[in-house]
Amino acid sequence: MDLRPDESLVAFREEVRRAIAEDLPADMEARQRAFGGIQSEIGDTLAWTRIMARRGWTVPQWPVEHGGLGWSPMQLFVFQEEQDAAYAPTMSWAGSHMVGPVIYTFGSDEQKARFLPAIRNGEYIWAQGFSEPGNGSDLANLRTQAVLDGDKYIVNGQKIWTSTAYASEWGFFLVRTDPTVKPQRGISFLLIDMKSPGITVRQIPMINDDCELCEVFLDNVEVPAENLVGEPGAGWTYAKFLLDHERTTSSFIFFNKREVQRAKDIAVAEGLARDPVIQARIARLEAEVTALEWSVLRTLAGEDYRYDDTAVASVLKVTGSRLQHAITELQTDLLGAKATRLFAVEADRRDPAPLWPEHVPGRVGAALGQRAATIFGGTLQVQKNIIAKLAFGL
Amino acid sequence: MDFNYSDMQRMLLDSAERYLGDRFTLEHRRAARSEASGVDAEAWAAFAELGWLALTIPEAQGGLGGSVEDMAVLSTALGARLVVEPFASTAVLGAHIYARSEGDRSAELAAIAGGEARVALAHDEPGERYAYAAPRRTRVTREGNRLVLNGQKMLAADAPGAGTFLVTATIEGEAGTAIVAVDAQAAGVTASPYPLLDGSRAADIAFDQVALDVEAVIIAPARGQAVLAEALDRATISLLAQAVGSMESCLDVCSAYVKERQQFGQPIGKFQSLQHIMADMFVATHQARSGLYMALAASEAEPAARQRAVSLASITVKEASQLVSRQGLQLHGGYGMTDEYEISHHFRRLMVIEKLFGDIDFHIRRVAAS
Ligand SMILES: Cc1cc2nc3c(=O)[nH]c(=O)nc-3n(C[C@H](O)[C@H](O)[C@H](O)COP(=O)(O)OP(=O)(O)OC[C@H]3O[C@@H](n4cnc5c(N)ncnc54)[C@H](O)[C@@H]3O)c2cc1C
Repeated sequence: MDLRPDESLVAFREEVRRAIAEDLPADMEARQRAFGGIQSEIGDTLAWTRIMARRGWTVPQWPVEHGGLGWSPMQLFVFQEEQDAAYAPTMSWAGSHMVGPVIYTFGSDEQKARFLPAIRNGEYIWAQGFSEPGNGSDLANLRTQAVLDGDKYIVNGQKIWTSTAYASEWGFFLVRTDPTVKPQRGISFLLIDMKSPGITVRQIPMINDDCELCEVFLDNVEVPAENLVGEPGAGWTYAKFLLDHERTTSSFIFFNKREVQRAKDIAVAEGLARDPVIQARIARLEAEVTALEWSVLRTLAGEDYRYDDTAVASVLKVTGSRLQHAITELQTDLLGAKATRLFAVEADRRDPAPLWPEHVPGRVGAALGQRAATIFGGTLQVQKNIIAKLAFGL
Repeated sequence: MDFNYSDMQRMLLDSAERYLGDRFTLEHRRAARSEASGVDAEAWAAFAELGWLALTIPEAQGGLGGSVEDMAVLSTALGARLVVEPFASTAVLGAHIYARSEGDRSAELAAIAGGEARVALAHDEPGERYAYAAPRRTRVTREGNRLVLNGQKMLAADAPGAGTFLVTATIEGEAGTAIVAVDAQAAGVTASPYPLLDGSRAADIAFDQVALDVEAVIIAPARGQAVLAEALDRATISLLAQAVGSMESCLDVCSAYVKERQQFGQPIGKFQSLQHIMADMFVATHQARSGLYMALAASEAEPAARQRAVSLASITVKEASQLVSRQGLQLHGGYGMTDEYEISHHFRRLMVIEKLFGDIDFHIRRVAAS
């Protein structure tokens, strides 16, 4: 065992930090600091991806032949940590971390040539069309059908919770192409142009006034057969590959680290930094966040551990999502009665009354949004089922 | 002891459940939020008609002279249907302050009872945190035989729908905190309204050289602190009862949802982990109602005992409300996160109640100091 940090990372971190400080526009930073995660971020997401594209830094984690940078897992960790700590927008995630890896691993040469450069350059946003109204946790039973008709698929069905679908140019969908086999075997992975006739998108009003999640209705949508990725019937395997691809991101470790720090700042601003009740809450959260960081490092360093990797990935998700709750709950509590105000109207967001300290707007909206941390990407209960099964064979 | 409702309470509850169940549907609630005053005027008139707004006003002052228990029974029904109309602000807190005031306020009380008048407490000042015993920077000075009010209030709950603000203030040359009634339309009064998470409204209010006559002082500085504390405790009891009603609705909504929602070929309510979550919610809700009854029993006790009881109940009910609303959301999966399912409305309402007139931390401190 050697638990010392890698010396070379110090200089790397400096370089990344300097680059972000140079590149991140002040207005973008201010928007993200207050309202990141709860208002439309598409503009900032694409703009930041394009800014990073000038350095060639948009998909450092990809294989070098597709535009990756060959950075080590620890360098990638530092790169993402520095972006989050600086309140840089998240680069278009569905493209770079979800569909991109599926395309460069399983896609055709035409698909690689067509889609990978657009993802690298932040040309447009992708939507992830997996969940359906009747199939969330039980995704394998999804019902949206794609029937091959000559050189095209005819797609019918409905998706839900499709983030940013209303503004996405392309979507990657799980569709049923063979209803006769075991559910997991009959699913295919289809790329669909969101402007295709027959697609209707409805934005869903959410608990925090945000409406980035959508319902997508597919009514006799024609999709060229060449948009199928890999083999028909292998969609479930690709989806699992995609979800397993980044085992540590579900910990939201960078978010949790940054938001604990923000909670401390708010405690100071609210005059509660010396309050023992608050100090105790913060200390507990810091203890959990630091342990979580080390859990993430163990996974990143490829520790050879007696328990199943997937069970360990669920540890990161369970702990990270609980911390997302607990930290934003603390932030809310620190505001006292000020937490009751809904900063909904655009005008409010830009110009809250001067009586309202600038650490208030956005915090409760974010806390409401963070309730989803134990729902998306496999609910808390499903994660525990995974642990019980894979760690203990129960 | 008898924990069963009296005939009169049963009737009150039945009529409330009938009226509110018909009118305060989720669709109504979602549509009504755009109303800038935060008040459904037609419903408010019906509340008056049904006698709810006169319920706690003493008979000697023209009211129905109902008990705190009666008020709590009605409050549970309001909470169950997520009614955010300012019942606690006007018919509990405001009515109590008027009923305890100097001189004859029967006209004001009659206007409250009749649904013509709504009032809102304006107490918090910038930079404060539930500072109910602290001296007020908002000041009344004397100019000849007139009074002049200056100051800045924040987060006056229900102010946008109120015609009169009950403003806590220091009076020049006198010790203590007075409560003065100020017309919302008076010259020099500027209210900046905004919505709260639950669709109700609040405002920051500036008072700039507002001229008042001496009659405006409804509670003299010597008694202000005590009356404010009573009124806040009563309003808190109403809110705790509303929270209990809301939690009980959450149990109904969630038990129906887990029976209906299917995943993996069965209702999700068949999963034992969800059954245990529902059981935890049930336990917490039961304890919350018990905590409420404990506070009701102490509502007429001497101030220290009353405050301690209200704070103990607040801790129980508010912590239970967090467990119930958070788990209720979780049971709904993605649907819980939307504005289109009732559970998220309970979540937000319970969150606002937790933070109004003292959050959990405030009550923990009050108990620790008692
Ligand atoms: C903010 C957000 C963003 C999202 N973005 C996307 C997106 O871009 N694309 C996309 O395709 N999807 C997206 N999703 C959908 C997400 O993946 C689903 O919400 C999730 O899979 C849960 O499914 P569900 O909502 O249908 O809940 P359900 O599966 O209906 O779950 C309801 C309840 O039942 C419990 N439950 C279910 N099965 C079991 C079991 N076996 N044992 C015990 N308990 C169980 C759950 O834990 C939960 O408490 C998003 C969701 C959210 C909230």
